[in-house]
Amino acid sequence: MNDLPVRVNALQKLYADDLRGEVRAVDGVSFECRSGEIFGLLGANGAGKTTTLRMLATILKPTSGTAHLMGFDIVTQPEEVRRHLGFYSATTALYPRLTARETLEFFARVNGYPEERVPGRVDFLIQRFGIGEYQNARVDRLSQGMKQKVSIARTVVHDPPVLIFDEPTVGLDVLNALEMQKVIRGFRDEGKTILFSTHIMSEAEKLCDRIAIIHRGRIHACDTLENLRAATGKHYLEDIFVEVIGRAEAENLSRTPAS
Amino acid sequence: MRNLDSGKAGGRLNWRQVRTLYLCELRSALRERIIVINSILIPILLYPAIMWVAFTGLMFLEGIKEKAVSRVAVQDWPDQHPDLRLKFERDRQIQLVPWTPATGTNDIKTGSVDALIEFLPPDDSAAALDRNFHARITFSRSIERSSAAQERAADLLNEYRAEWLTREAGRRGISTADWEGPVVELKNVASEKEMGGFLLGLVLPVLFGVMVAVGCFYPAVDSTAGERERHTWETLMSSAASRTSIVTAKYLYVATFGGVAGILNVAAMALTVKPIFAPMLKEAGIHISFTLSPAAVPFVFAAAALLAGFVAAAMMIFAAFARTFREGQTMIMPFYLLVIMPPMFLQIPGLAFSVPLAFIPVVNVTMMVRSALSNQFPLLPIAITLVMSVAMIAACIRLASVVLRFEDVMVGSYNGNLNRFIRERLLNQPPNKPFSPHE
Repeated sequence: MNDLPVRVNALQKLYADDLRGEVRAVDGVSFECRSGEIFGLLGANGAGKTTTLRMLATILKPTSGTAHLMGFDIVTQPEEVRRHLGFYSATTALYPRLTARETLEFFARVNGYPEERVPGRVDFLIQRFGIGEYQNARVDRLSQGMKQKVSIARTVVHDPPVLIFDEPTVGLDVLNALEMQKVIRGFRDEGKTILFSTHIMSEAEKLCDRIAIIHRGRIHACDTLENLRAATGKHYLEDIFVEVIGRAEAENLSRTPAS
Repeated sequence: MRNLDSGKAGGRLNWRQVRTLYLCELRSALRERIIVINSILIPILLYPAIMWVAFTGLMFLEGIKEKAVSRVAVQDWPDQHPDLRLKFERDRQIQLVPWTPATGTNDIKTGSVDALIEFLPPDDSAAALDRNFHARITFSRSIERSSAAQERAADLLNEYRAEWLTREAGRRGISTADWEGPVVELKNVASEKEMGGFLLGLVLPVLFGVMVAVGCFYPAVDSTAGERERHTWETLMSSAASRTSIVTAKYLYVATFGGVAGILNVAAMALTVKPIFAPMLKEAGIHISFTLSPAAVPFVFAAAALLAGFVAAAMMIFAAFARTFREGQTMIMPFYLLVIMPPMFLQIPGLAFSVPLAFIPVVNVTMMVRSALSNQFPLLPIAITLVMSVAMIAACIRLASVVLRFEDVMVGSYNGNLNRFIRERLLNQPPNKPFSPHE
């Protein structure tokens, strides 16, 4: 099992909040992802999806627990982890004053892609995402759809084996959201490992090979859609989600001592 | 939400990454109008332009003043000095207006007369010389026109007095040297070039400090708070570049703009001061050669690098806590004022680049520039300045590395400024020890 691209074990992230005191944003999350798989983290807003993915991207440091990407430890080898990772989220914007081509060249270089192969890789992605006509236009002058394409190309410009998409369709219109789903599926077909977070049930249902339902920083179910259906007796993911969350809440209540 | 976890270190410094990041920052900044204007165009154009406008304005006003005619009323011309009256009547800048017994202070205050001259009988001590007279000029110092009239009238009176005394002395067989007594003669040994260096040294360092601060200001905000506001911070943080490489590249970028702004300003001033001021001063009878001594050049470069290194590091520490451009500007502003204030006092006449001054940050570097422009290179103050500046830069970088170890500051979720940070995190440990920062 050591060759799994993503291994997460009892990952925890605690915050100290001025008003609420200690907050367990992520509370002992464990899962694994395989090559050529789309692994979905499904949860409501504030469930701990983004914090988990940010820890895997080494933007945040875990309070405890371990995680490895392509065999590299997220705490002790963060640069190696990021070299093998493409991170995309609604909040990862592009440099507005660079052109689309300059953006791709910059991220290829800064992510350690071999210098001699940078122009070829950039040309390939410009062609693949159909941004040839706008490659020399500044990013701040591109349409939203074009920016999205450049942003995806930026995520994969150094050809990482693991990709993280944190709520990638937030703020996108239907057509752009469908385009995004198509692109993610394409990456999966190329054999990349994809971690995908969303709170949109239909998206998870359509895209994910396995789904982890996360609630209050904990994963309460993690399996294929078929197995989740079998385990809960529900057909639609929405119903499965409500069932799993309901059980988790009940379990939580039964653990809480009566006052 | 406050996150108290802090990373141990920012990772290895990778110079290839630093170069890539640095070039990206430079390219991006050179396309930002506000940065180009503040860090490049203003240092080159603004101050030479301001000085040219000010000088031309002064010359223009002087011309107007020269053309303005002073209205002078004279009471009781001395009968024994008809030439004096003739002198006043011939002067084109003076118009004699009729004196009446009603003419007085009120006319000067209302502006109908600029000055009043009264010829009075000489007092006892002055009565020794036959035909001596005593003149009193009444005017108002608070009225520009009246002051000018007083100066012109006094000049004419003094000129006439000197001519008359010379004539009278000659008639008595006394030479001018005999009655003039001790003569004080001034001899300026400074060459035209040295005078130019002195004047450049007086003006340029003040602007030099200001320009370095202006040059650093926007890049410092842009590379920290601006990055957060544009949401490119997370994109960068998720790249393979180490935190150390990112911060180093940003620091070099901010320092570059500060240093370049300082050097450009000195170069622009040195180049423009000659064609603009030299002819004007020549017209006024002052011969000054504005040439930058080659020996001063390395000192100007060193000063620009040291001052920019310090200012860039300090400004980035302040701006590191900001989440928006506006917040960043507000957080940097007090430090910015602190940097530009001390050089303002450097124009105090006689202020030498002494050892005590060499210990004061910012002042020491600007004094070093001033001194170098005047072709003076005092070794001990220069050495102290270099050591002090490097120490200040090192201290700022050390503080920056401590600040950026805190994850919430690094990711921009810390809600506070440098002051609060030092109070909470460096002076008093947070109450919940398990999550407190580990060095």
